[in-house]
Amino acid sequence: MAVQDVFDPSGIAVVGASDTPGKMGYEAVQNAIEFDGPVYPVNPSASGSVFGREFLDSVGAIDGPVDLALVCVPAPVVPSVIAECGEAGIGGAVIFAGGFAEAGADGEQLQDELVAAATEGENEVDLLGPNTSGFLVPDESLYATFATGIETVPAGNLAIVAQSGGLAYSLAFQAENRGIGVSAMVGLGNRATVGFGEAIAYFDGDDRTDAILLHVEGADDARDLLETCRAVETPVLAYNVGEEDVGDFAESHTGALTGRYELYEAGFAQYGVPTVRSTAELLDGGRALATCPRPDGPNVGVVTAQAGPGIAIADRLKAAGATLPSLDPETQAVIEDILPGITFSANPVDTGRPMPAFGDVVAAVARDDTIDIVLVYELYEGGIGYPTETLEELVSAVDKPIVFATGGPDDTLRETLPELEALGVPTYRTPEAGADAVAALVRAAKRTRAPDAVSPGAEVSR
Amino acid sequence: MTNPLTPVDAALTDGRTALTESEAKTVIADRGLVTPTGELVRAPDAAVEAAERLGFPVVAKVAAPSVQHKSEWAGGVGVNVNLGDADAVRTAATQIFDAASDRDLDAAVLIEEGIDIEAGLEVIVGATRDPSFGPTVLVGLGGIAVEILQDTSHRIAPVSTATALEMTRELEASPLFDGYRGSPAVDREAVAEAIVAVGDLVAEREAIREVEINPLLARPDGAVALDALVSLDSEVHGDGDHRSGRRQNRS
Repeated sequence: MAVQDVFDPSGIAVVGASDTPGKMGYEAVQNAIEFDGPVYPVNPSASGSVFGREFLDSVGAIDGPVDLALVCVPAPVVPSVIAECGEAGIGGAVIFAGGFAEAGADGEQLQDELVAAATEGENEVDLLGPNTSGFLVPDESLYATFATGIETVPAGNLAIVAQSGGLAYSLAFQAENRGIGVSAMVGLGNRATVGFGEAIAYFDGDDRTDAILLHVEGADDARDLLETCRAVETPVLAYNVGEEDVGDFAESHTGALTGRYELYEAGFAQYGVPTVRSTAELLDGGRALATCPRPDGPNVGVVTAQAGPGIAIADRLKAAGATLPSLDPETQAVIEDILPGITFSANPVDTGRPMPAFGDVVAAVARDDTIDIVLVYELYEGGIGYPTETLEELVSAVDKPIVFATGGPDDTLRETLPELEALGVPTYRTPEAGADAVAALVRAAKRTRAPDAVSPGAEVSR
Repeated sequence: MTNPLTPVDAALTDGRTALTESEAKTVIADRGLVTPTGELVRAPDAAVEAAERLGFPVVAKVAAPSVQHKSEWAGGVGVNVNLGDADAVRTAATQIFDAASDRDLDAAVLIEEGIDIEAGLEVIVGATRDPSFGPTVLVGLGGIAVEILQDTSHRIAPVSTATALEMTRELEASPLFDGYRGSPAVDREAVAEAIVAVGDLVAEREAIREVEINPLLARPDGAVALDALVSLDSEVHGDGDHRSGRRQNRS
C-alpha cells in the first residue's frame, strides 16, 4: 500500500529545513529527529547543519533510505518540490502550506498542478495535505509536524483521522490531558491524494489501532468514505460537524433540504458507523469501541451503587436509543438473595451504596442473557475499593462490553483506574461520559454494516 | 416495450436541463407511480373537450420546458385548480395561452383530472445527485410542513422498500400517516415505493440530476403524484462516471 510511505517511513527528508528557531522548517526538523531513522534537512540556500545533520541541496542528493518528505516551503514552490520527490523515489509527502484549493480559483489551479506533479511522474507521491498540520505516530516517535509540544501525546490504540488539522490537535491534546493513548493522529487538510478512504484503510491494517475516530466537516468524497467504513474490520466512530449548514442550491425543495450534515448522519447510519456529537464523546466512545468486544445488541444493564448517578445514566442512555430491559426473573432472584430488600432490582439495579457484595451484583447482571452491555457506576469508597477481581473474571467469562464509571479524589482515581483499564474495562469519571461511551456501543450494535440493512426501528439522527 | 427514458433522451438532445411536467410524469409513471389522467392541448376549445372527456373538476397548467415554477409564472395564471365547468376551463386556458403569447412562449396547456387533496396527506418525495454522496433520497411532509419545519428524512440511494418505509417512520409527522382525529390512515407503502422509484431513477441514470414529486398525495389506497419535476445535467449524455474531485478544507 502506497500510503505506507507516508505513515510508516524508513527515512525522512525535511524540505525547506531551517536552522532558525521558530521557523516551520526548524520545528519540523526538531520534531522529525525524534524518529528512529535517518532525517535529512534539505535547503539549497542553507549551509552547515541543523541538529547535527548536514543540509543537502536537494532531495536527489540524499544518500540513504527515505520515503517521506515534510514539505515546509511556500505554496507556489510545492509542485516542483513534489516532482523532485517523485524523481528521487520518495513515495510520500506531507504538505503544510495553505493557499491551495481552500483559497479560491488560483489555489485550486495550484492544487491541480500539485496533484499532476504527484501522479504523472514516473513514481507517484502520496500527498497528505496540503493545508495540514501533519500527523503523529507516538509509538514510533514519528512527529511529522511543525507543531510544538506534541511529543507528550501518549501512545495507544486510537487512530484520530480528522478533516481539520486544528481539530486533530484538539483531540490529541485532550487525549494527552486525560492520559488516553493514540496510535496515530492525522490532519487530512485538503486531501489532495490521501483522503478519508486511504487513511481509514491504512489504519484498519495497522496493528496498533483498535478504533478509528473520524472528524468530518463535509468532505467531497463522502461516498468513498462511507464505502471504506463499511469495508473495514476496525470499529469506526464519527463526529460529523455542520448541522447548521444548509444546502447551497435551492432550485427545488429537494436541493434546499438536502444538507451535507443530514446526508452524513443518514449515510453513517446506513453504512454501519456510529456517530457522536462532541470531541469528548469521540474519545470516550472510541475507547469503549477499541477496548470492548462488539456488543450483540442494544440492551444495557446498569448497576449503580448510588441512585442519582444511575438515574442520570439511565435517562441519557434511553435518550440515545439504548434499551434497558427488565432483568431475567432468575437474575432478579439472585440479586434479591444478595441484597434482601433492595430498593430497585429491575434495571438499573441500585445497591444503595458501595458494599463488599457489589461485585456479585455486577456479575449477576453481566451473566444475564437479556443484557448485551453492562454499565457500572460506583463512587470510590476507601476500604471497599472496586470489584476488580470480579470484573477480571467477568471480562473473560461473558464476552460483553463492561464499562465502568466512577468518581473520587483525582489521585485515587489515577492510581486505581489503570488497573481496571488493563482488564479491558474502559473507565469514565462522570456518569454522562460513561453513558455516552455506552451509547456509542449501542449505536455500533444497532447499525449493521450490511448494505441497506438498517434494522426496523434503528435510530438515525436528523 | 418502449424505452422508459425516452423523454430524458429527447430533452438531452434538445439541450434542455429539465423535463416538462407531463414528460416527468411519463417517466415516473413508467416506474409504477400513479399520476392523474391528463391531456396536453394547444387551444382553449381543445381544453374544454379534454375536460369533458376527463370529467369535471379539472386542473389547467401551463406546459413549457422553460417554465419550472408554474404557479409563480405570469402573475399566477399558470396553474388553475378546481375548474368545475366548461366556461371555467375555457377562461383558464385562454389566460395561459394569452400570457404565453405575450411572452413569445410556445406553450401548451395540461388539462388533468381534479384530485381532492383533502382526501389524503401531501408529502414530498425527492432524489438528488449530491456531488459528494452521489444519489440520495428524501421524504418529508408536504406544504408548509416541509418549508417551515423541515421535517425530512434522508438516505443514500438506491434504497430498499424496507428502508424507505423506515424513512417515513422517522418523520416527526409519521403519526399522520396512520390517521389522526378522524382523517383516514394513508398508504405508507405507496409512499415508500415512490421513494424507491425516484432513488432508482437518479441512481441508474447519470444524466438525471434530480427528481422531485411535490406533492405526492398519499391516500388510503395508493398515492398519486400531483406534480413532478425532473432536472437534467445537460453535460452528461451517457452514463459515465461523473464524480467530482476532492477539494478543500477549513482548518
